[in-house]
Amino acid sequence: MKTILKSSLLLIILPLLMTGCLYSDDYPIDEDGLLITNRSDCYISRLTLLGTDFQTIHLDAQDAVIDNEACTIRVRVKFGADLRNVYPEFTLVTDAKLEPKVTGFTDFSDYKNNPPKYTVISGNRKVRKTYTIYISEKEYQL
Amino acid sequence: MDKNRYIAKALLFVLFAGIFFSCQKEETVSDFGNKCYKRSMGPNVYGNEIEFAYAMAIQPYVGKLTSASVEASIAGEEGTWMEHRSYHAKLDGMDTAIVVGNPSVTEGTLTTVDYIVDTCAATLRYYYKIPKEAKGQDVSFKFSAVGSNGQIVTQSMGPYHIANMDMELDVNLTAQNCYLSIADMKAYNAAQAAEHPERIDLVYFFRNGNLDTAAINHSFVAPACKKYIPQNLTLPAGVENDTKIRDVGIKDAHLARLHLKNPPEAQPGIYIDDIDLQTIDLSNMPNWAFDLIANDGMWVATEDGKYHAYIYINSANRGRAGATISMKRYTMY
Repeated sequence: MKTILKSSLLLIILPLLMTGCLYSDDYPIDEDGLLITNRSDCYISRLTLLGTDFQTIHLDAQDAVIDNEACTIRVRVKFGADLRNVYPEFTLVTDAKLEPKVTGFTDFSDYKNNPPKYTVISGNRKVRKTYTIYISEKEYQL
Repeated sequence: MDKNRYIAKALLFVLFAGIFFSCQKEETVSDFGNKCYKRSMGPNVYGNEIEFAYAMAIQPYVGKLTSASVEASIAGEEGTWMEHRSYHAKLDGMDTAIVVGNPSVTEGTLTTVDYIVDTCAATLRYYYKIPKEAKGQDVSFKFSAVGSNGQIVTQSMGPYHIANMDMELDVNLTAQNCYLSIADMKAYNAAQAAEHPERIDLVYFFRNGNLDTAAINHSFVAPACKKYIPQNLTLPAGVENDTKIRDVGIKDAHLARLHLKNPPEAQPGIYIDDIDLQTIDLSNMPNWAFDLIANDGMWVATEDGKYHAYIYINSANRGRAGATISMKRYTMY
């Protein structure tokens, strides 16, 4: 009876230990609690600037032009868009993360002197690319 | 032998338990009963109605209904009344009315309907028009029905809190009536605005913005926002308030009333209440909003901080000036 109990306990504990080791070694987590993976891809695939009503403020609803070589993003926004309260909505490559984090409405009003910059960090956290967002505002005489 | 005895005892126990519980569940049917529920939803706002459906029934062998009444803790405004028709839903789901009494009489806090037909069951609706003096207070109701045998049944409803905010529906804006006062909840023309410029909080204008899609169209700008006031629009002297605006798209059910449109549209059960207007922070918001269309809305805070409001665009003309707006406004101090 004792032998059966011992072997069943061993059978339960051993796989637990094994899987625990597997996960903790192969998929560590970073300071944000996100999985660090093997992916080294590092780019932004899409950016949409949203207004306070969470609708796009892009001129003519055109997509932002992203150059992943030069690490630039060019966006034309509507005349009169409120650039003090912009919600930038990024789409990143799988497992990548963004720095600084987008936590709410962001002030882009000083875009001419100080274009906003965001850094993408790859899934393996070894590649970093800093993108600059160049905004141009539609001019119009009322 | 013992085994059989145990089974017999167990069966007996189950049987008794069954009888006991089934007896317990049996409800006693009263000879005279009533039930009430509140039909209207959302915050209770001055100028609006609170609607109830009051059902009452008496056993035919006891008597018939003679009257129904409602007593409100605060007298309703003129227009408070009780239906003298009883409604029921037909097979097609449509409400069907049958006259059962004389038109209601309201005296002070009491509204009464006297039955004129022999009936032992009816559902009457009661509409309480919220008075100004009830703002910020709680109001309760006592519904009662009287039978021909003298028996009375009652049901208390509430208390219901009456919001502090004000509401104004369907304010028309035109190219001329383009000066909007949050304090007055009205739109003025230039001459009227010049008489009390300190009360003008927003300027409405329309510009066809199809110049390479610089979408402007229906727009609201604070008078202080000179950058975005059209060149051909000269503001009356003294009109210079700096109002904060946040463009959003909340279809408040009191303001939008989409279900009443022809054809009706889906109306979300969204209501802006006192607390929303109290807590909204617009300090970092701009003083302009461009390209608003029907069903859009905006939070607004006046320069002196006295009023917070939500303005909803009920309709906006296509390709030309003209819009209808409704608003809820909260007085901060």
